Amino acid sequence: MLQRMLVERIESRILVGIVMFVGIMILIGWVAINENPRMASFTLQFEARAVERGGGLFAANCATCHGTDGLGILGRAPALNSPHLFGYDFFADIKNRRSVLEAERTTLTNERTDLAIELAEGASDRRRVEIEARLAEINDRLNVGIEADLALVQSDEDALNNSILTAVDLGYDPATFSRLTQANWGGTLDAYLYTTLVHGRGQNAQLWGGNVMAAWSQQAGGPLRSDQLRDLVAYIANWDRGDGWTVEDLLSVRQFAIVPGAGGGDAPTAPPVGTDDEVAVLQQIADAGIIGDPNRGDQLYHRRAASQAGFRLGCAGCHEGAVQGPSTDGTWERTINERLTDPLLAGYTPEQYLVESILAPGVYIVSGYQAGVMPGNYPEQLSLQDVADLLAYLRTTDPNYVPPSTQDQANDGALEQPTQQDNAPEQEPPPAAAP
Amino acid sequence: MTILPFPSILDDIKEKGLKKALYEGVDDVVQRVTAGMNIQDIREALRGEAPSRRPNPRLQPHADGFWLHMRPSFFHRDMTGIYPTFRLGWLSTYFVVFETITGMFLMIWYTPSPQVAYANMLNILGNVPLGQLMRDLHRLGAEAMVLIVWLHMLRTFMTGSYKKPRQFTWFTGVILLIATMFLSFSGYLLPWDQLALWAVTIGASMVEATPPAIVGENLNLLFRGGPEIAENGLLRFYLLHVLLVPALLFIFTGVHYYKVIVHGHSLPPRSENIGEDTAKRVPLEKRVYFIPDIMTSEIMWVAVTTFIMILLCVWFYHAPLENHADPQVTPLGTTAPWYFLWIQGALKLGDKVLWGIVFPTVVIVLLMVWPYVDTTPSRRYADRKWAMTFCFLFISIMTALSYMGLPEYGVAHVADQDVLHLMTMEPAHGHMGKLLPIPYDQLVPGAYTTLQIRAGEENAEAAVGAFNVLLQSDLRIGEGMSTQFRSAYLTLSGIPRFTEVPEGAYELHHALEEYEHAIQHFGAELYNGWGVMIITQDQPDLKRVDLVLMWEDVERTETGAVRYVDGRPVPIVDENGLPVLRWATDHVFIHRDAAYFAAH
Repeated sequence: MLQRMLVERIESRILVGIVMFVGIMILIGWVAINENPRMASFTLQFEARAVERGGGLFAANCATCHGTDGLGILGRAPALNSPHLFGYDFFADIKNRRSVLEAERTTLTNERTDLAIELAEGASDRRRVEIEARLAEINDRLNVGIEADLALVQSDEDALNNSILTAVDLGYDPATFSRLTQANWGGTLDAYLYTTLVHGRGQNAQLWGGNVMAAWSQQAGGPLRSDQLRDLVAYIANWDRGDGWTVEDLLSVRQFAIVPGAGGGDAPTAPPVGTDDEVAVLQQIADAGIIGDPNRGDQLYHRRAASQAGFRLGCAGCHEGAVQGPSTDGTWERTINERLTDPLLAGYTPEQYLVESILAPGVYIVSGYQAGVMPGNYPEQLSLQDVADLLAYLRTTDPNYVPPSTQDQANDGALEQPTQQDNAPEQEPPPAAAP
Repeated sequence: MTILPFPSILDDIKEKGLKKALYEGVDDVVQRVTAGMNIQDIREALRGEAPSRRPNPRLQPHADGFWLHMRPSFFHRDMTGIYPTFRLGWLSTYFVVFETITGMFLMIWYTPSPQVAYANMLNILGNVPLGQLMRDLHRLGAEAMVLIVWLHMLRTFMTGSYKKPRQFTWFTGVILLIATMFLSFSGYLLPWDQLALWAVTIGASMVEATPPAIVGENLNLLFRGGPEIAENGLLRFYLLHVLLVPALLFIFTGVHYYKVIVHGHSLPPRSENIGEDTAKRVPLEKRVYFIPDIMTSEIMWVAVTTFIMILLCVWFYHAPLENHADPQVTPLGTTAPWYFLWIQGALKLGDKVLWGIVFPTVVIVLLMVWPYVDTTPSRRYADRKWAMTFCFLFISIMTALSYMGLPEYGVAHVADQDVLHLMTMEPAHGHMGKLLPIPYDQLVPGAYTTLQIRAGEENAEAAVGAFNVLLQSDLRIGEGMSTQFRSAYLTLSGIPRFTEVPEGAYELHHALEEYEHAIQHFGAELYNGWGVMIITQDQPDLKRVDLVLMWEDVERTETGAVRYVDGRPVPIVDENGLPVLRWATDHVFIHRDAAYFAAH
């Protein structure tokens, strides 16, 4: 039948051909009118999947340093899931309210001057009454209303300042609320993220105590292709909450971006110890009469101060809460009660063990932890004073520690400690408390 | 005396009047363009009337024109039906042109470089009006062309049309078949997605097996442009795809067509006596002239096929595009294109050289020389028992080998990887992980376990409760699970509290069922195994689904678990006599707008 219909009669062939041709035109027309929405939905879908792939890449490559939730790791790498990166200004509303009030004050002051001139130049009685009434109104607003409103703004600002104190302690500066401004970046955030991924931050070793952002692009010798970097940028950019950032978001940030001199490295003020021989270092400390300051040690440990060799350390990032290394809490006690009972450490004093652990971390690995995690470059980052300060700080982790009542007593203790404890690994009251 | 300084149409107009002069001018142009037919001739032809003037103007375009000089001016009536040709030869030619046109469109938007090729695809799909349609048409056309060319060869074989004097026509046909398959194959690589890279890697690795080693290695280098397919390889495949192979194809198409003119179309076997070839001696009353009958028929088939192709590409077919090519990540279940599956299947039989090089070469050479081997005179089906037997054997073997080429056949499976892959695989080969098409709203953050499904609806709550107790009480299991979370960089504070899948999350429940069924399917390998599914809100509009699989290790061989007589597997125990626990984990991210749809 098909044969008869289609093949044998020329009219049928021409008819079928024309119908099909019209059909083709209709189909293409149908595709064409749906093309814009289709392309838009493809793009939306593709962008969504780029975020998904970026998530996988982030978990596999970035989470070790920037945190699984992107909130950064203290001393290691800054938060990306942070209002600072996206340039959210918590004070924008307050600034706005204040500038509105100040604009009103300027307007009213100008009006008052104009009215005063008019009054001085002479005006009709009726006009004079009007002007005086208006002047009273203006003065009231200027002297009471606006001041009260400004005071309200100020108290809101103070409250906000108070609520973000913890973040400011960690290095957040409300004045440079945008990372891009802080880094003097003129382009877009996407371009900033992308180029950072491409090149890494090789020059930042000093700011991050030896942890550097590697160059991730294959073009720069890294492991990732440019499309993967795009996916990562899409994922990181997806943390943006737009106008929805809250103070809680800011406070949950564990590490802010740092720039030299603003929470980053400083100019060196003393040479580094340069050796991992802990006995020699302790001897030099004793010979030089250096006294450890637990408060400065605390600051060094928590990255709030730079070492004398100019570096910021990341100790707390790994040790606080035993994230990657043994916990900070109870270090002193554990050193004496657990570590020094190991035959491998026979003859060690607690100071010797701790200094060795800092300067040559690979020598003795506490069971349950991996070798090679802790950087081995602290001899280049710490001066004798820094070592003494860190040691003094670790001393305070002992629950029985009693702070020295005077500086002199502390001095004695710090100096005498190594000899006193030589053959006495048992826990003793710290010498500072002895007198 | 002319109006202008030279003779022009104005003289005609002056002489004959405007209407007549214009008509004659147009008529003259039409006659020149068609190399012999004027408007009246065309009108008569299309009306199905006999030509009104002699000599027959409808033969003129064949004699004087370029385009029709390669078509016979008349066909035998027995040849014009659907049988015996099924129009397969014409359709093959049609697809050459079809692929050229759609290919040129795509070429405008394509750069053969690994840096941008994949981005070009995204641009074609997301930014070029009708780009997706063109890509779909080109891809579907390529697959259809391979199929049509094979069928054309099958038809030629069945009707014995390769026999004397058409042996060489058949030979050029085999070359065209190879060119077609290679065109299709070389196009595979160009999108630079995972499908492309791995299909071509499999194909190219066969070249490497060519003995002796020095030849194989160098052929491989030449082919891939380096030890791995990268910039050079992509450029080479592109040039093969758009220059060398099309050039060969066009040349041999010309030869193929010329041979058809020389020998005429072979008639159906029953139409002539055994040993006779009367194709060139068509009696007058049996002649069907190319103009108008064959030509309108061919144009009609073009219109019908184009319509069908577009219809398919609008609603039923979209060219696949997988993730960006990544030499580091080998997808599970990688296959060659379907028309090369027979080689992949043969490779599973053993030696790479024998089955990967010698065997396909033998097949091709056999096809090429077949007409010179089978010189029996009869083209009647009943007289060709051996040839028909060979034909059906060939089809059967190719089908069986193609089946063996599928990943389902003879590939060692790793049970835990298979289960996780089933759940999380990225869209490929028309399939995707069971987790992906779950509607975003049904991915309720929480922790779920397959033990809920295993316990059945009534005992689900108790089973989940018992599981929570187990995780808290059995340190090995609890800590093992935490280790898995840590290794996958999943942010969790401690072991989550497991709950039942919430009411209304049907698709999620269904995926959990699939998960459980997959674990049960590998019950011997994944002995006492269970799986959990942790859904977390990773970012605004982005959820993360983690799967953890735990099972007790059993004695295994290459083919699967070792079993006792009663069918139980043999557990492996540690020094304390406790079963050795094994773990596996994987995760996916799902975005609100990712729009995965279940494959139907």
